[in-house]
Amino acid sequence: MNIARNITEVFTRARGNRRRKRINLTPYLFLLPGVLLFLAWTAYPLLKAFQISLYDWNPIPGQVSAFIGSANYTRAFSDPVFWMALRNTVMYAVVTVIGQMFLGLTVALMVDQVVFARTAFRTIYYLPVITSWVVISILFKYLFNSNPSGLVHYLMVDVLHLLPDYVPWLSNAGTSWVAILSLGIWKGIGWSMIIFLAALQSIPVVFYEVAAIDGANKWDRLWRITLPLIRPTLIFVLVMLIIGGFQAFISIYLITGGGPLQRTEVLLSYMYNQGFKYMEFGYGAALSYMLAALIFGVNFIQIRFLQERIEY
Amino acid sequence: MHKKQWLTVIFILLLVAVTAAQCSSAQPTVDTSALDAAKAAAAASEAKVAEANAKAATAEADAAAAVNAGADELAAAQATAEAAKTEAESAVQAAEEAKAEAEQAMSAVEAPAEEGPVTITFWHAYNEVSPENEMLTGTLIPEFEAEHPNIKVESLSVPYGEFRQKLLTSMAGGVAPNLIRADIIWVPELANLGALAPLDEIMPDFDTYKAKVFSGPLSTNFWGGHYYGLPLDTNTRVWFWNKEMYDEAGIAAPPKTIDDVIAQCAAIKALGDDKYVFADGGTYAWAVLPWIWSFGGAITDPDVTTATGYLNGPETVQAYEFLLKFYKDGCMAPSVLGSGVDAGTGYAQDLYANYIDGPWMYPIYEGQFPDKQLHATLMPAGAGGSVSVVGGEDIVLLQQSPNKDAALEFIRFTLSPEYQTKMAEVGQLMVLNELVKSDYIQNHPYYGIFLEQLKTAKARTPHPAWTKMDEIITNAGQSILREEKTPQQALDDAAAEIDALLTSK
Repeated sequence: MNIARNITEVFTRARGNRRRKRINLTPYLFLLPGVLLFLAWTAYPLLKAFQISLYDWNPIPGQVSAFIGSANYTRAFSDPVFWMALRNTVMYAVVTVIGQMFLGLTVALMVDQVVFARTAFRTIYYLPVITSWVVISILFKYLFNSNPSGLVHYLMVDVLHLLPDYVPWLSNAGTSWVAILSLGIWKGIGWSMIIFLAALQSIPVVFYEVAAIDGANKWDRLWRITLPLIRPTLIFVLVMLIIGGFQAFISIYLITGGGPLQRTEVLLSYMYNQGFKYMEFGYGAALSYMLAALIFGVNFIQIRFLQERIEY
Repeated sequence: MHKKQWLTVIFILLLVAVTAAQCSSAQPTVDTSALDAAKAAAAASEAKVAEANAKAATAEADAAAAVNAGADELAAAQATAEAAKTEAESAVQAAEEAKAEAEQAMSAVEAPAEEGPVTITFWHAYNEVSPENEMLTGTLIPEFEAEHPNIKVESLSVPYGEFRQKLLTSMAGGVAPNLIRADIIWVPELANLGALAPLDEIMPDFDTYKAKVFSGPLSTNFWGGHYYGLPLDTNTRVWFWNKEMYDEAGIAAPPKTIDDVIAQCAAIKALGDDKYVFADGGTYAWAVLPWIWSFGGAITDPDVTTATGYLNGPETVQAYEFLLKFYKDGCMAPSVLGSGVDAGTGYAQDLYANYIDGPWMYPIYEGQFPDKQLHATLMPAGAGGSVSVVGGEDIVLLQQSPNKDAALEFIRFTLSPEYQTKMAEVGQLMVLNELVKSDYIQNHPYYGIFLEQLKTAKARTPHPAWTKMDEIITNAGQSILREEKTPQQALDDAAAEIDALLTSK
């Protein structure tokens, strides 16, 4: 106790003793463990990665790495695979974000109407979210097996006759994306549903009652009451999903590995391959910083232009 | 503030401190400075001996020359020679003393390490439940540990696909294993990173082992003037032909030449639309190199300075034109672009009449398709002969690992006839010259054909950037078979890309 008071006094004296203001150290002490962990596991790797991105990095301790300045960054601009990965990343983000938001909202609106066994529906839709990415990715790889015995083949060709012939799903970039994107959307619906559901339930029922008296139909109520009122939630979900979309990795790495011909490579899988496949850790670190800048920029624009205060 | 709060704070701080202490508690390290000093002294005295010997030799030579010149000079020269000799002798004596001292120092440093059992770690990519792993961990390692009670060997199965990543992470963290069984194609890359200890420098009896092993596999350990490992096992791919399908199609004998292979097309396709003459798993170098080489082509020049004129030379282009036509005619299975049934399974199910693969297929078939017989012959010959690709693994010692002497002892054990024969029983083709004539090999049902194919087989390009080169070759093959580029165009592009890699490092 005394020590804390002494330190506090030192602080207050240093400020010129104009106003005796006690600084309570207790909250800072409680923060300390978290801050230490943050410094060790987040801040340090961040700075270290930046350092690595400026070198032709040799990962072996004791070996000399050559400082090459911004060469790793400029290299990306003349690297065709980088541009392909960037395009794929943006495409993945756009398609999966729209898909997850649309389907998530639809499901949320439906579950919101359900009176009987709502928790059960919520749980069922949320299950894919808590399932491991790795397990699901490997599962999808099997579902989209190129063999005629693959489950998707069986359903689409033999049972439903939707496809005229077997498709070598994972041998072509276009059809590989079908598998990757459908996984990305399917797995994310539950998460946006839960958030939307919470927002829907926070809208006072009285608005709908008033609207009904005014003669608004269901469609009007959705467009004029529900959507405007959950706008902050929409923006929150949009931002979070875009961050997630830009960080797509596990599904792509496990289902196609970036192939064929590196055509399903996204920024993270390309970064990973640079580091652990080609041992180009400097270039990989530079790519990670470029991805971070991209995410930061996109989210900055979103928050800047979409966020408005709303009042009930 | 309440006492309770303080107690909580102190408790949390303690927890953090304990965690941090556990994280940072490094492994106890042996103080090797004395050993290093002793070694340096020994090296210096050896240099002195050499110098003195050289002096004595020159003096003697002078004396010999002086014989022709005259008596006076002869006497003088002899005196010099005598003096030089005594000098040399005393130097030798001093050197020996220094050496003895050094040895004493070395044993003093090493002794504490040998008191308790030393643990060495060995990583390999044998499947955890494979017969290879059972043989290694169930029979061979216990045998080694019984012979060397002071050494414990910890073996770890790391899947091939994750091996390099796991190794890199552990090296970056300073906790690399002592020994790894490295794919022969990783060795230049790891050596170039400075990860490997040069065996020819730190293993006193390296030359003995160098002479014992096949020279082809040995050469895969050579990078930048040093040998960084010793071969552990070797293999190559041979031509498997499906007798049941041959009989059904009326094909009399396995192909001797690539033209014979092409000639099978009509007969095999007549058996059914889903039957194929040949199947492979992709367009990576391991798959296409036997074709490229048998056509007389190459990836680079022999000195690995350029790919232009080799990868896009007429012979290599011809090889790819053959593969493209074979694929378009429906004679090569779509598995080459990653769809349909894989080669080994398709052969067992009588879908594929031929495929190329290594000796590990025999144990796999015993387990999965016990009713299907594998028939092997040499790779069909083209203008370049019958040339397949050398595979296999080397055993390498990590530079940063402690207990190098114990690890070297295990390397010696892996090159014993005992170890090599035992591993051969589970499908690992041995690398010892002395075993080729052994009864085991002479009576073996299928190793003979692999040893025969190995005589002409070639190794993939030894270069640190091989992984990238392989990717370039894979992509070139893909764009050719997908008809996005002509063979010439795709190979021109690939050669330019590989040239850039060759000049940058």
